[in-house]
Amino acid sequence: MTPEHTTVTAPAAVPPGAGPAGAGEPSVPPPVPPPGTAFGRVVREARPYLRARTRVIALLGGWSLLEFAQTFLGGFAVARAIDSGFLDGAPATGLLWLAVAAVAALPAAVATRGVFAGLADLVEPLRDGLVRRAVARAIGTALTGPTAATTGSVSQITHQSEIARDGWAGLVLSLRSFVFTAAGALAGMAVLAPRLLLVTLPPLLLGLGLFLATLAPMAARQRAYLTADEAFAAHAGQTAAALRDIAAAGAAGRVVAEAGALAGEQAVQARSLARWAAVRIVALAVCGQLPPLLLLLAAPWLMRHGLTSGALVGAFTYLTYSLAPAVHALLGVLGTAAGRLVVVLDRFTGPAPLPPPPPGRAFVPPRTARPVAELRAVTFAYGPGARPVLDRLDLTVPSDGHLAVVGPSGSGKSTLAAVLAGVVPPTGGEVRWLGLATDALEPTAVRTLLPQRPFVFTGTLRENLRYLRPGARDREIAATVAAIGLDALAERLGGVDAPFDPGLLSQGERQLIALGRAHLTTAPLLILDEATSHLDPAAEALAESALAARAGALVVIAHRLTSAARAERVLVMDGADTVCGTPAELPARSALYRDLAGHWSHDPG
Amino acid sequence: MTMSRPAAQASPPGSAPFRSPRAGRLPLAAVALCSIGAALAALALPLALGSAVDTLVTRGEIPWPELRLCAALTAAEVLLDAVVALLGGTVTATRTARLRTTLADRLVHAEPRHGQAVAPGDLTTRITANAAEAAAVPVAAATAAATVLVPLGAVVALFLIDLWPAAALLAGAPFLIALLRTLVRRTADASADYQREQSLIAARTTEVLDGIDTVRAARTAAHEHTRITEPLTRLSAHGRLTWQILGRATGASALLLPLLTVLVLGVAGLRMSAGAISVGELLAVSRYTVLAVGLGVLTGALSTISRGRAAARRLDPLLGLSAVPHRSLELPPGGPGRVELRDVDVVRDGKRLLRGVSLTVPGGTSMAVVGRSGSGKSLLAAVAGRLTDPEAGTVTLDGVRLDGVDPVRLREEVTFAFARPALLGTTVGDTIAFGAGRPSGERVRSAARDASADGFIALLPLGYRTPLERAPLSGGECQRLGLARAFARTGRLLILDDATSSLDTVTEHRVQRALARRAGAGTRIVVAHRVSTAADADAVVWLENGMVRATGPHAVLWDDPDYRAVFHAARPTAPTAPGGPGAVGAAGERAAGPVSGSAGSGAAGVGDGVRSMRSGGGERERDPGPVSGRAPTRAYGAPGQADGTATAGPDQGRTAGPLARPSRPGPGREAR
Repeated sequence: MTPEHTTVTAPAAVPPGAGPAGAGEPSVPPPVPPPGTAFGRVVREARPYLRARTRVIALLGGWSLLEFAQTFLGGFAVARAIDSGFLDGAPATGLLWLAVAAVAALPAAVATRGVFAGLADLVEPLRDGLVRRAVARAIGTALTGPTAATTGSVSQITHQSEIARDGWAGLVLSLRSFVFTAAGALAGMAVLAPRLLLVTLPPLLLGLGLFLATLAPMAARQRAYLTADEAFAAHAGQTAAALRDIAAAGAAGRVVAEAGALAGEQAVQARSLARWAAVRIVALAVCGQLPPLLLLLAAPWLMRHGLTSGALVGAFTYLTYSLAPAVHALLGVLGTAAGRLVVVLDRFTGPAPLPPPPPGRAFVPPRTARPVAELRAVTFAYGPGARPVLDRLDLTVPSDGHLAVVGPSGSGKSTLAAVLAGVVPPTGGEVRWLGLATDALEPTAVRTLLPQRPFVFTGTLRENLRYLRPGARDREIAATVAAIGLDALAERLGGVDAPFDPGLLSQGERQLIALGRAHLTTAPLLILDEATSHLDPAAEALAESALAARAGALVVIAHRLTSAARAERVLVMDGADTVCGTPAELPARSALYRDLAGHWSHDPG
Repeated sequence: MTMSRPAAQASPPGSAPFRSPRAGRLPLAAVALCSIGAALAALALPLALGSAVDTLVTRGEIPWPELRLCAALTAAEVLLDAVVALLGGTVTATRTARLRTTLADRLVHAEPRHGQAVAPGDLTTRITANAAEAAAVPVAAATAAATVLVPLGAVVALFLIDLWPAAALLAGAPFLIALLRTLVRRTADASADYQREQSLIAARTTEVLDGIDTVRAARTAAHEHTRITEPLTRLSAHGRLTWQILGRATGASALLLPLLTVLVLGVAGLRMSAGAISVGELLAVSRYTVLAVGLGVLTGALSTISRGRAAARRLDPLLGLSAVPHRSLELPPGGPGRVELRDVDVVRDGKRLLRGVSLTVPGGTSMAVVGRSGSGKSLLAAVAGRLTDPEAGTVTLDGVRLDGVDPVRLREEVTFAFARPALLGTTVGDTIAFGAGRPSGERVRSAARDASADGFIALLPLGYRTPLERAPLSGGECQRLGLARAFARTGRLLILDDATSSLDTVTEHRVQRALARRAGAGTRIVVAHRVSTAADADAVVWLENGMVRATGPHAVLWDDPDYRAVFHAARPTAPTAPGGPGAVGAAGERAAGPVSGSAGSGAAGVGDGVRSMRSGGGERERDPGPVSGRAPTRAYGAPGQADGTATAGPDQGRTAGPLARPSRPGPGREAR
């Protein structure tokens, strides 16, 4: 169990931090979201992100000032053009004022570019952080969870981070546009006739307040809708992949009933959303369409106080031409995309812990005469109520021993390998390496564990072979290629330095590469957990002999009895019952061994 | 056994086509009318506002009649818009739910191979996203008229006010659009680069998750995280470029409306100076210019409709699926489970995969189906249990044609287990109970015992109540849950389609023994690759190229070297299998047709530690690869063994008799 973890926070690149242990636990419940509302969680994590970017936000505001100027001049120039131009018998002056409005609009193009540059600085780091987190969470979940949910993880990395990126960009754009347009329009009206504000400001604030009041319940509906939609989609995905089994089990009725219920639930949420959309339209009207009416009502009073015809038209221009569209855009984004943004961002909240890398220079234990590994009364169970897989097992692996473990599937062989390698802690008893407690040593310096499913990544054969020992010399690699029987594969791939796509390799070839990796390591204990299952017997014999010839102990979770026959000692497992002996004496001592020998000799595989 | 009919069965599927044109027509008409009403109000408002301003300017008092008109028009526009949002949203929601349910209904009641003709991911997209898009079309179409009405009406209104500003708009708009377009320099599309880096990250993640056992053991998680996210710097650079390009385009289009407005207002101002139009009319002109430019909104509505139409076309094949037909015949109660195939032909993709197959399996006996890969074994199993219907010939169970029996009733009598079962339901216990006539908890547990699944279920954190997504299942454990699902029902026919291929030999024997204990309960048809399975069966049917090469007891057939060769070939030293494991699995799935036989699998080993996802996760095991070919089967049924089997003589002699029914003379048909 490792006490230290690495926590990935959104913008930073893997800073070290402390987190709860859990890397090696066999099964961990899915991460429970921290308390509070989704909105609260998102805001809590957004705050430091925004605080770190005040300069970008200020720059964005600076560019947006041009938009403010454009809005301000738009209404003001119209007012002046009418008052001192078209209605004053001076059409040229009127045209001149309109030209001012046109010129004021020209920098908008430049401003928009500046705004988008600032936007990129605000949006791209968010996506980077989300992807880092999603990758960390995918790895962390796969390390601890029972099933590797590849599809969901990849969707979070590619699809959901994009939804967040677009939603966040839309929110920034419309919010910024609203703020500066509203400021420009209000400033314009204040300059034309300050009393205009008395008439237009109250409904604007009222409408915004009304809308803000509906925001929380609307966002909740939005979340409920998305949740229902995803529940239906998950069910549909399962159904689509299981048509044969549904037909064979006669479960069509149940499946349709479930689909109908989920679709119905989603429709309920969609209808509720439609009701809130109607409410939103009313709030929007109070904001955007009530002010012109009030202006008409108050106009005689305003005109008595010196409001000119041009100023009146200018005020209407501000209200209908500038303000209404900005309000419309903002409320539109807040009502739809923002809800989605919160839902998606909330999936990224919370820490994404990763176990730390092994220390650069690990304590390399001295080779002693002590057994390389010992199990003392080791017990392992998957849960407090579950039957133990290993029950008070004692086992000693001498420093140059060769042990094979056999037994039917589910007899605990892989669990034994994991416990022996210190990947999972035993629920009872003690594991000792070189006479020391396991947590006193860096596991990778003591043992190499090769699982059944090998990890081969896109790259060259040399890179893949060096995975467990980055410092391996070319000479050693060449020796390993020959010893393990990798030469044919290396030739087919075009040499050890030719990049290849692992998808083009068979499972057997992948296992062979992993075996080569293990051959290069210097750890005194090598554990193969059915790591030769996809090899033919001859290839298996060659690779296993090469690994047995390597300095140190070899423990083989056997896939075939031929593999057990090569070992010095064999451990036969059947549930918690175990028998240990030499290959020669076991047929007499273990009925299961006889059984395995009988079937295996008939049915190689 | 009483049968609880699921609600969805109440209306026979397939009889009611989805597009019931009358349903929902009234709300749609209301949506159309309301949206047109709102559009008209929006169009009338600037004129009313303009005349109110004129009255104000000339008389200096509150223009009550015009104000009342403005208020009424505003109220009408807002309320009608709200009604459109409410009604439209409700109609679309209802239609979406109905369409999705109908699709699910069609899909699961049809012969599975029709749905399987489409990849599962694609199928999911159709049921979810495409269904929603298609369901949105009626409302989008109903409001389309209003969307067109507003900009066109605005142009008309401009002309009504004065010819010149209207002309300025019509002349200026194309000119300005052309001018602004030149500002947007053509830049290489950065989105392709962006997507490439993104998929690189996704691909590396998939690789690492696939090899997570190694990452755990080697403690390289942090290293892998760095390696996976390394393309982020390039991704970010491409992302910035896309924003830059978007900013340039948006900046140019942001100029259109202000410049156009200034142009139109300039002309209108000159006309006002000339006394041709009033102040109020100038205001209206400015407003109508904005509305007229809104023509761009129309493209959005049109794309919704065209996308919806395209989606609907993708749904048509699914909606056209008809449920498996039947004639509500009943199986004779307490029948022994005698299966008879007569002259069965199955044609898939123009190929005759089963040709004139006739055979009889007497009630209560077991029949092994053997043959090389692609000889039609899985298809025969599927036909015998009516997972698929033959093109010609008949299949009967206890004398009743399978295509006459209600499928729900049939599923209580015929159960299947597969090589790679898709596990459905919520918990481990639920997945065993999943299907027709829910078995009791006691029955579920006894089925799990028979399938040798109780051992690993007991090791799970919550036993039978462990949620499936929290149960770490290997391929072999999935298979055993699939077997338990079949065992949990006491049907008269049990079909095992390579359902023990991932079990180690010891476990398989335990399952076989449990099966033998149940022997009296019904008939078994077992698709087998292993000699031992064939030897255990009462009789064997040997398929070759979709035809029955021979039937008889294993011991008799064993004398034929060709027959022995079948078992050697079942484990070939396979050629290189290119393509990712997933690709191989997917291709195999489709090629194998409705029952997705996993020919050539049979990862029999001591352990089956390969983790798999809930459905079809065992794909990786199916990729034998160049070096994984198993050594040719050593003679299980070698002479001594054959004799051993033959000691069961009398019994087998009895059952072997009626089994062989070569229907047509054919070369090498009979080897007895």
